Amino acid sequence: MTDPSQSPATSSNGSKPLLELRELKTHFRVDEGLAKAVDGVSYSLREGETLGVVGESGCGKSVTALSVMGLVPMPPGLNAGGEILFRGENLLLRSEEQMRAIRGNEIAMIFQEPMTALNPVYTVGNQIMETVMLHQGMDAAAAREHAIGMLEKVGIPSPLSRVDEYPHQLSGGMRQRVMIAIAMSCNPSLLIADEPTTALDVTIQAQILDLIADLQKAEGMSVLLITHDLGVVAQTAHHVAVMYAGKVVEYATVGELFSNPRHPYSIGLFRSLPDLAGAGERLETIPGMVPSATHFPSGCRFRTRCSIATDLCASQVPSLDPMDGTAGHTVACHHLEEAEKL
Amino acid sequence: MSAPDNLLEVTGLKKYFPIYRGILSRHVGDVKAVDGIDFTLGRQETLSVVGESGCGKTTAGRSLLRLLTPTAGEALYRPEPGAPQVNLFGLSERKMRALRRDLQIIFQDPYGSLNPRITVGNAIGEALSVHGIAQGSELEDRVSELLRLVGLRPDVANRFPHEFSGGQRQRVGIARALTLRPKLIVCDEAVSALDVSIQAQVLNLLGDLQEEFGLSYIFIAHDLSVVKYISDRVAVMYLGRIVETGTVEQIFENPQHPYTKALLAAIPVPDPARRSQRVHLEGDVPSPISPPSGCHFHTRCPVAEERCSRETPAMQACEEGHHAACFLAEVCSST
Repeated sequence: MTDPSQSPATSSNGSKPLLELRELKTHFRVDEGLAKAVDGVSYSLREGETLGVVGESGCGKSVTALSVMGLVPMPPGLNAGGEILFRGENLLLRSEEQMRAIRGNEIAMIFQEPMTALNPVYTVGNQIMETVMLHQGMDAAAAREHAIGMLEKVGIPSPLSRVDEYPHQLSGGMRQRVMIAIAMSCNPSLLIADEPTTALDVTIQAQILDLIADLQKAEGMSVLLITHDLGVVAQTAHHVAVMYAGKVVEYATVGELFSNPRHPYSIGLFRSLPDLAGAGERLETIPGMVPSATHFPSGCRFRTRCSIATDLCASQVPSLDPMDGTAGHTVACHHLEEAEKL
Repeated sequence: MSAPDNLLEVTGLKKYFPIYRGILSRHVGDVKAVDGIDFTLGRQETLSVVGESGCGKTTAGRSLLRLLTPTAGEALYRPEPGAPQVNLFGLSERKMRALRRDLQIIFQDPYGSLNPRITVGNAIGEALSVHGIAQGSELEDRVSELLRLVGLRPDVANRFPHEFSGGQRQRVGIARALTLRPKLIVCDEAVSALDVSIQAQVLNLLGDLQEEFGLSYIFIAHDLSVVKYISDRVAVMYLGRIVETGTVEQIFENPQHPYTKALLAAIPVPDPARRSQRVHLEGDVPSPISPPSGCHFHTRCPVAEERCSRETPAMQACEEGHHAACFLAEVCSST
């Protein structure tokens, strides 16, 4: 993994975006109306890099990832606009059949809960073999060899016997390793990891994050890491997109965002971390809670919880604009100067 | 360790879950979820119990309140400073029920711990009527007061749990635990399910309530940054045993047990400038059905010696109030 302090330089050194979202909108028809879970999300991910997407429950970070995979059930979901450019081509225009050839092959995904993501009635070997037999046309014998090799690669001890075991025979950390083995089977150029370590204990989490970083280094893939844990992002990402209520409110390199957060929501998020406060001091909090996706406030969606909101924030949606002097740092706020004094 | 006005002194707490096999349901072994732990809790003190899944921290908390029947041990509880101690594990059901006013619990999952068919007002007020403390309009007043105390509007009393967000439900859970003016609250992963900004609100609330009512907390958690923030003292558990106890400073600044060190090293620090070149523990936590011999941690320990697999290390003092169960801990070196 590259040192984060170098990442702005490496990223501007011409590596082109592998994935680019432009004003992506994924909405859901629900009983209460239209839930705008993802409502104009733009970010880009360069080759070989890790983009961390952070935000609280319901901010749309997972739905964004599912949209990239083409896994949002429609209906109730619907594409309300925007583009998902993967190697410059819009995935939203692909047919289901074309998407099936990309999914699991070019773009792979791992999920939070490996027990529900794995099929309990197939051995882990079968589940790895399925991917390569489908996408790479391997025969069963070669696929089995491949599966054993993948298990070894993701650090599962005695892969020769583990290959014939079922998911329930493995621990949580091992299951997540199997998920990674399945995802990595076809050498994807993009790995989407949706809260990959949230269900794991901290020592196992560290092992899994190391594993993803090692594989990324070896294979040169890009990682889209979705998490609510700012610690995980700080340790692994090159760039970070902060999401709130279906929109990206701030985007920057990890070093820039952590040292110089500018959006009032990002600032509040960092201040409510217990780790940074001295013991016994009161934690700063963001008042209120995340608004419902069917009834987002007008204008800036954070304004109902923001201490510096004005009438302008209610009437006009702030756009995600670049900040002066800091390359690649974009913020969606009308009151950047006031926010700096927070 | 035994101060005369400690709220609680626990010694040798064990909770085994028997395993039965075969047609005759023969007793073939035990899951030693909690295998002999000792700790004390002072007044208005927060003791955190930390460890990974399956280390027995939740079982320890529940056994203490006798929500699970402890297999062995003694929990001496002193309701007031100077009052005689009572052994919670030796009380009859009836006497224990009366004491339950003092001893409350907040659960991790605010979705699972509230009955979906009961309004939050009734859920909070239930204990008051069960214990015959308040009824009618007096009960309603108390419920309103409790709701205000935890930062909810009193008029939400008539709503059902599904109308609340996770953070609000956890506030209801806290209000419920406070109803009977307890002295001790076991917080079992009380903030783990909450988003960080909401978690901060709830942590602040717990701190305020501790000050206002002189509460003691046993805070069961796996998130070490939360533990660092809220605790006075910390007990680190591994496979049913406490491997290290100390003040929050001692544990975080000068950890002695290799497991504590590994646990601290594994926390992802929210600071990209401090990307660690950490050494991570290998392997998984072994099964508590057949834990490793000797020191339970020796299979994953980076510094284990030959004797660690033969002998069980006893707790020994490293400094005042700081104890670790490791042959290799720097005994008394730092004082």
